[in-house]
Amino acid sequence: MKPKVAFFDFAGCEGDQLQVANLEEELLTLLGQVEVVSFREVMKEHSDDYDIAFIEGSCTRLQDEDRLKQIRKNAKIVVAIGSCATIGGINALKNYKNLDEVRKTVYGENAKLFDTYAARPIDAVIPVDAYVYGCPIDRTEFLQVVKSLLLGKKPDIPNYPVCVECKKNENICAFERGQFCVGPVTRAGCNSCCVNEGTVCWGCRGLVDNPNENSHKEVLIKYGLTVDDAIGKFKLYFGWQEAKR
Amino acid sequence: MKILSKEDFSDFVNALIKDDSLDVIGVKSKGNKFAFGPLEEASELRLDYDVTLLPPKKYFFPQRETLFTYNIADGSSAKNAEAKPSVIIGVHPYDIVALFHMDEIFKETKSDPHYFEKRNSTIIIGVNIQKMSKWNFSPYMGCATVDYGYDLMLTDLGNRYAISVGSQKGGELLSKYAKNITGALARDIQLVGQKKREIVNMSQQKFDFPIEMIPELLKETYEESGFWEEHAEKCLACGSCVLVCPTCYCFDVKDNPDLALENVERVRTWDGCLLEDFAKIASGENFRPTRPTRYRHRYFKKGKYLFDRFGFISCVGCGRCSSNCLPNIANPVDLFNDMYHETRSMGVQLAPAQTPEVNIQSEGNIDYVPKLATIVKKVVMTANETLFEIKMDDGSELGHKPGQFAEISVFGIGEAPISISSPPTKKGTFEICVRKVGNVTNKLHTLNVGDRVGVRGPFGNGFDVDSLKGKDLLFVAGGLGIAPLRSLFNYVLDNRKDYGHVVLLYGCKEPRELLFSEEMQAVSRRPDVEFKSTVNWCPDNEAWGGNIGVITTLIPQVSFDPNKIHAIVCGPPVMYKYVIADLKARKVPDDHIIVSLERRMKCGVGKCGHCQINQIYVCKDGPVFNYAKIKGIPEAL
Repeated sequence: MKPKVAFFDFAGCEGDQLQVANLEEELLTLLGQVEVVSFREVMKEHSDDYDIAFIEGSCTRLQDEDRLKQIRKNAKIVVAIGSCATIGGINALKNYKNLDEVRKTVYGENAKLFDTYAARPIDAVIPVDAYVYGCPIDRTEFLQVVKSLLLGKKPDIPNYPVCVECKKNENICAFERGQFCVGPVTRAGCNSCCVNEGTVCWGCRGLVDNPNENSHKEVLIKYGLTVDDAIGKFKLYFGWQEAKR
Repeated sequence: MKILSKEDFSDFVNALIKDDSLDVIGVKSKGNKFAFGPLEEASELRLDYDVTLLPPKKYFFPQRETLFTYNIADGSSAKNAEAKPSVIIGVHPYDIVALFHMDEIFKETKSDPHYFEKRNSTIIIGVNIQKMSKWNFSPYMGCATVDYGYDLMLTDLGNRYAISVGSQKGGELLSKYAKNITGALARDIQLVGQKKREIVNMSQQKFDFPIEMIPELLKETYEESGFWEEHAEKCLACGSCVLVCPTCYCFDVKDNPDLALENVERVRTWDGCLLEDFAKIASGENFRPTRPTRYRHRYFKKGKYLFDRFGFISCVGCGRCSSNCLPNIANPVDLFNDMYHETRSMGVQLAPAQTPEVNIQSEGNIDYVPKLATIVKKVVMTANETLFEIKMDDGSELGHKPGQFAEISVFGIGEAPISISSPPTKKGTFEICVRKVGNVTNKLHTLNVGDRVGVRGPFGNGFDVDSLKGKDLLFVAGGLGIAPLRSLFNYVLDNRKDYGHVVLLYGCKEPRELLFSEEMQAVSRRPDVEFKSTVNWCPDNEAWGGNIGVITTLIPQVSFDPNKIHAIVCGPPVMYKYVIADLKARKVPDDHIIVSLERRMKCGVGKCGHCQINQIYVCKDGPVFNYAKIKGIPEAL
């Protein structure tokens, strides 16, 4: 019997599910391996009978925790997909601010009607079995993770920085192009896609397990960033991880 | 030496490009940098480049390479298509020397067919350096010019190229595709000589001492942990320095299934010893966990370990590592100069390193494709360990020695090194005792009798059963350490009269983790074996009438003649130093202590670099070591 899979979203843009929907031909092959029972972005049916739950988005309010716990109960395997679900993502930018002010900025007079708390990744609420990092996720890596789970294997997610992929791809280092990049502390696995296109790594896959943050901040400053801007570079995606370290 | 006008050289390159049977590769510009890439037009060639982003090794040892593909259902495999002949134009001399280093490394013991297939079907057209990168120190390494290793070597003489023909293949290529070749005049030959002399003075880097001292200098500095911590403090562990290196050859191997889960590519990718998980094994143990130790390992590998093994310092001075290091800590010239001054300030007198005795043997090719085998018996031993009896499908014997290991493939998942638990005296099949720790072993536990696996090996040296003949033997096994020891222990029992007094000490954490319990009971009843077992603790709900305490608590309970006894020790990494200390306290001589060590043995054939303990490859030089030989090797125990 094919494993049943379901997709869920929390605070996020649903861009990761869009990446899955955009698998096109590969999606058809994938559907030979799994049965999708819930996927709001592409179908209207829904079932609570599933084996693998893919969760996008971060948890940003207390009442969402119950829904997450229910998903954990229903699913054999929980996979967090995308930056918001895996590392807190850019949602965690608000954690640097006063949350009441954040609510007022977004909801104005009605602020008190909307709860909020510090944005956090899914594994801050429930145990997570596998991670597909990225903003958005990389389709190839998503498939890699799905194949691994189907074969009963722990997905092989790199614990080395994006520089490894940049070197293999013979990219000219962003710093040599006069730009500022957090690739040296960011978990690889995206095949350095942003730098391949001539831009920089923003850090959407989060920090490697043991980043040398101080050294990299020094590098950013040595190449001309102000201290504040260097710290800002780390805030964009690493907020939750940095707060935990 | 030949002469070709620049116009005729362009025609020559275009003629090569036009020939569809050849892949023609050359140096092209990429932004304000340069890279080797496929040529579509001779005009794309930039022979005035300073250095390329990656060295040309990527054409022989690609960033990602499929070793073979196999079918998940039955394990049957298909080899790759043959490499297409190619011509690489514009290789600088230091990169030519680097390829020579790679050749030696990939040839040692057994040749790597994937590397040499591409190497042998490629023609190298070198070019003498016209601009030198500011990081380049190849003149110091003797690699700024070269007299071997190329098929053709170009020197730019303004409106023409002087071409040295380095091989018959090179000469034939020239006469087949080039027109209007003339012989070089004495003036041209002189000019080439002059250019080469100029190149040797082009470096902007400066060593403060003769580089022949590097191996000795490293030796003096190994223990200076402060030196390494200070120099590696800013290391990002990003691997840039090793990934761009023309002589780095470490690799990882992974299985990549297709989406239909029918066929799998076994893929080899570049790896690097600076990366955090490089020496980490499935159980989570990391044998080089800190940045300074990994940083040190890189310099030792280049300047000492490979020098001792091959007789050359495996650095050609291209400067790529220096230029790619954002915190600017990877420049070998700076590091070695610091090391030199620090060593001098400590008052250490250094002599140039003695050229080591190099004895590189090579026989046959490595076969990365596993043989098929079938599980014929499965005995669940504990919650985490299971014994598998395996039979080769072609009816052959594995042909192992006690203490050797095999690389076991679980189809769809990957390959892992597993020690062989049965003695060679057991014919027709072999046994492995497997703990669930990683992907391969977890999946292996779900397989059943009749299921297929892949087997490569046996690998490693194994125990020297002949030299142990007539000796008293003390086996000390901790936990899963019994698995490799059992191959020797049972061999000794099968040849009992050849050996003296035999003692087996076996310990594990708690009673329910005891392995081979029935066999152990049988052993305990044997009059010709002294057997003692222990557990670290015994929970209330488990029964245990024996010794409680760590394995070393058993050592005082046995009597032996330290001069006659040979101790054979295997267990978790933490166990060795305590057991060895206790044996030494009992006056057992160092060379009577034999250990079997565990590391990340990815390839099994001394190539991938993961299992290296300082200069030693555990998969090839071990896993069995005489303590007297490794006690001075700091990373060993």
